[in-house]
Amino acid sequence: MISPAALIRRAAPVLACIGLLVVWQVASLVLKNDSFPTAVEAIRAIPDILGDKEALLNILASLRRMALGFCVAVLIAIPLGLLMGRSRSVAAFFNPLLMVIYPVPKAALMPIIMLWLGVGDITKTLVIFLGVSLPVIYHSFEGAKAVEEKMLWSGAAMGLSPAQRLVRIVLPAALPEILTGCRTGLVLALITMITSEMIARQSGAGNILFNALDMGQYDTVFAMIIIVGAMGIFLDTIFERVRARLVRWSEPQFDLPLSFS
Amino acid sequence: MSRLLSANVLLGIAPIALIIALWQGLVSFGFAPAVLLPPPGFVFGRLLQQLATWTFQQEIAATLIRLFAGFAIAVVLGVSIGIAAAASPAINAVVRPIVRVLAPLPKVALYPALLLLLGFGHGSKVTLVAADALFPILLSTYYGASTVEQKLIWSAMAAGTPRTQILFRVVLPAAMPSILTGCRIGLVISCIVVFLAEMITSTDGLGHALVTAARTFQAVDMFVPLITISLLGLILNALLGALRSYLLRGFPEA
Amino acid sequence: MKAPQNGRGSNDVSHGCENRRLSGRLLAKSVPYAKASDGMTVVSARPSEWVRPVTSKEPASAIIEIDRVSQVFQTSARRDHVALSDISLTIEERAFVSILGPSGCGKSTLLYIVGGFVTPTSGAAKMKGQAITGPGPDRGPVFQEFALFPWKTVLGNVMYGPRQQGVRATEAEAQSLALIEMVGLKGYENFYPKELSGGMKQRVALARTLAYHPEVLLMDEPFGALDAHTRTRLQNDLLNIWERDRKTVLFVTHSVDEAVFLSDKVVMMSKSPGRIREVIDIDLPRPRRRSELLLDPRYQKYVVDIERMFDESDEAGIAS
Repeated sequence: MISPAALIRRAAPVLACIGLLVVWQVASLVLKNDSFPTAVEAIRAIPDILGDKEALLNILASLRRMALGFCVAVLIAIPLGLLMGRSRSVAAFFNPLLMVIYPVPKAALMPIIMLWLGVGDITKTLVIFLGVSLPVIYHSFEGAKAVEEKMLWSGAAMGLSPAQRLVRIVLPAALPEILTGCRTGLVLALITMITSEMIARQSGAGNILFNALDMGQYDTVFAMIIIVGAMGIFLDTIFERVRARLVRWSEPQFDLPLSFS
Repeated sequence: MSRLLSANVLLGIAPIALIIALWQGLVSFGFAPAVLLPPPGFVFGRLLQQLATWTFQQEIAATLIRLFAGFAIAVVLGVSIGIAAAASPAINAVVRPIVRVLAPLPKVALYPALLLLLGFGHGSKVTLVAADALFPILLSTYYGASTVEQKLIWSAMAAGTPRTQILFRVVLPAAMPSILTGCRIGLVISCIVVFLAEMITSTDGLGHALVTAARTFQAVDMFVPLITISLLGLILNALLGALRSYLLRGFPEA
Repeated sequence: MKAPQNGRGSNDVSHGCENRRLSGRLLAKSVPYAKASDGMTVVSARPSEWVRPVTSKEPASAIIEIDRVSQVFQTSARRDHVALSDISLTIEERAFVSILGPSGCGKSTLLYIVGGFVTPTSGAAKMKGQAITGPGPDRGPVFQEFALFPWKTVLGNVMYGPRQQGVRATEAEAQSLALIEMVGLKGYENFYPKELSGGMKQRVALARTLAYHPEVLLMDEPFGALDAHTRTRLQNDLLNIWERDRKTVLFVTHSVDEAVFLSDKVVMMSKSPGRIREVIDIDLPRPRRRSELLLDPRYQKYVVDIERMFDESDEAGIAS
């Protein structure tokens, strides 16, 4: 049984989507601008893009790079973050470096890395890796730092070695925070992927977007925006489901993501 | 204590020094040609030289103007929407699902649309920066405002504060730590986004300087804007940090 | 407003302070705040002319009337939890009344209803014959959690109320400084709450509430978060402050000693549903001194009797 109120709450994001599309439709009808197609026109153009085999392969290749970059980043960033959180000297070692790298747009490294490694998959994956790593390291760091000392003492009293304590106590205790970082990282991976393709302009979703812009196919531009937006929302929703399941024991967290590029 | 501190500082400088040494080593021992990887001394010399030139200062100014304009819009909108959503269930019911949909949306993808609607000038870039910086500020404001201790509000109400003033006299100051955390994230995002927008399409700004250098394969000139944006980020972050510790001087966690 | 026995305006705090050198001795400015304990004496000696004879039993008039108040909360399991059931209580002007009961008996909720922070599910509370519809400066709360504004200094916190009442800044500051001195925090005016210990924070909270001259003080387990030593210091100081103008006090606590020591009347409550079990008049002489009272067999009898009554009800609860 779902009460009407709960039903509305569940449907609210869908309603919001529809609302935004309606606002778009009305705005474009009012503006009557050639370069601003209506929502309906843009949605109609979606099947054309997804039907085009080359475009589809392009998008899938983008997603593959994104998945690879994300996974490698998570595998390296979580242990590093946890170590930083539990050891002062490790933190002191890496913190300034991370602070220097933080405000540098990772996708902006594209041209330089391209200079060395070419325009291939490695460059783009590397950039995605860099983009995802920082928030995951940061959140793992914060999560590990907040682990209660007494919990670790209890672990030590039970005879756990330092490594075991890191895996058996710090990792699960910091998991909610780590997953928050991963969630931010996931959205970031998507953003970095698109930006890097916009800059390198060779293949991928970002490239389709700008090629269409150059050729004046405005409905394709907007259709691509819908596709990319849907990917972002879809990935975020899936991840949120997984997260909620993994850390059911923890306090109900703030359920909105803090994403950024 | 101070010895410990300086030890930590040394430890922190170590990896940066190592990277620069490695960088220098790669060049000096001929593993990387200077065309692709100019030696660090050369890059920093070029940076100082560029910082003194009028044209480069103009690029920095263009970037900073866009950054501040976008960031300011994001702060004003984010704080007011966040507070309003925390104060009114009706506004909350509307804002919440919209934010849920828009927050995970990769805003960069909107950039082509913004270009079409607002043109290639400042407008589209400022809007993109604002759109990207908005959500972290909005969300942390909302979070801070909705977790204000009830008894703080009660105390103020009992002292005769009208309900309309509670928002400004209690909720806003009490949510300040959270708001400033959001602003900090928003500021870094603004740095990143403004640079990217300028790289994708622009006629001036640091991002444009990087792209121009990349087109002509001037490796040195590619490093300069990158280091500049990193420095700008650090400086702005430090300024915000100083503002934060001044504003939050009464708060235990600051 | 009735003139208090001592012939002073009951609200004239600053004037009162001039005559009594209250807190100077333990508050040398050179003492770093971190070392200052809560062991600050507020009133070192109370001149006897201030003492109101206990025998003067004026005809008491009701200031707060609680009429058949019930409060039902909906718990997450969609079950109703009856926090308060059919409570009726009259509180007389100038009385120090404690509400005593185990945790979860709804005693704080009752206080919040009088404060106007919570609207009862049924029934009504009245202040001087007027229905209570919301918080107002005639009823000043002091919370266990202190609830000080962290962004304001001690002085800023105390000045908040008067400024809200439209008192001019200079005047509000003078009044507030006098109050801060009265609660024994002279020298700490420009400290932030985070720099103070728990007992000092509660002193600030008390001063902040007194600053807008409420007719009734609503104290919600104010000393519950403090250590035993600080707690007795603050109890003594509260009584001393109270002796001056004898505001009406509604004091929620779960400590039997505290209730008997402070009050004219103890309202005993029982749990689930929250009901009034017994109202006991505490007929002990005032001004009360802790050292004398603890040895007083009447005091001991009150404490023992009340504790026994709670024990009996506990056993009845276990049996049922």
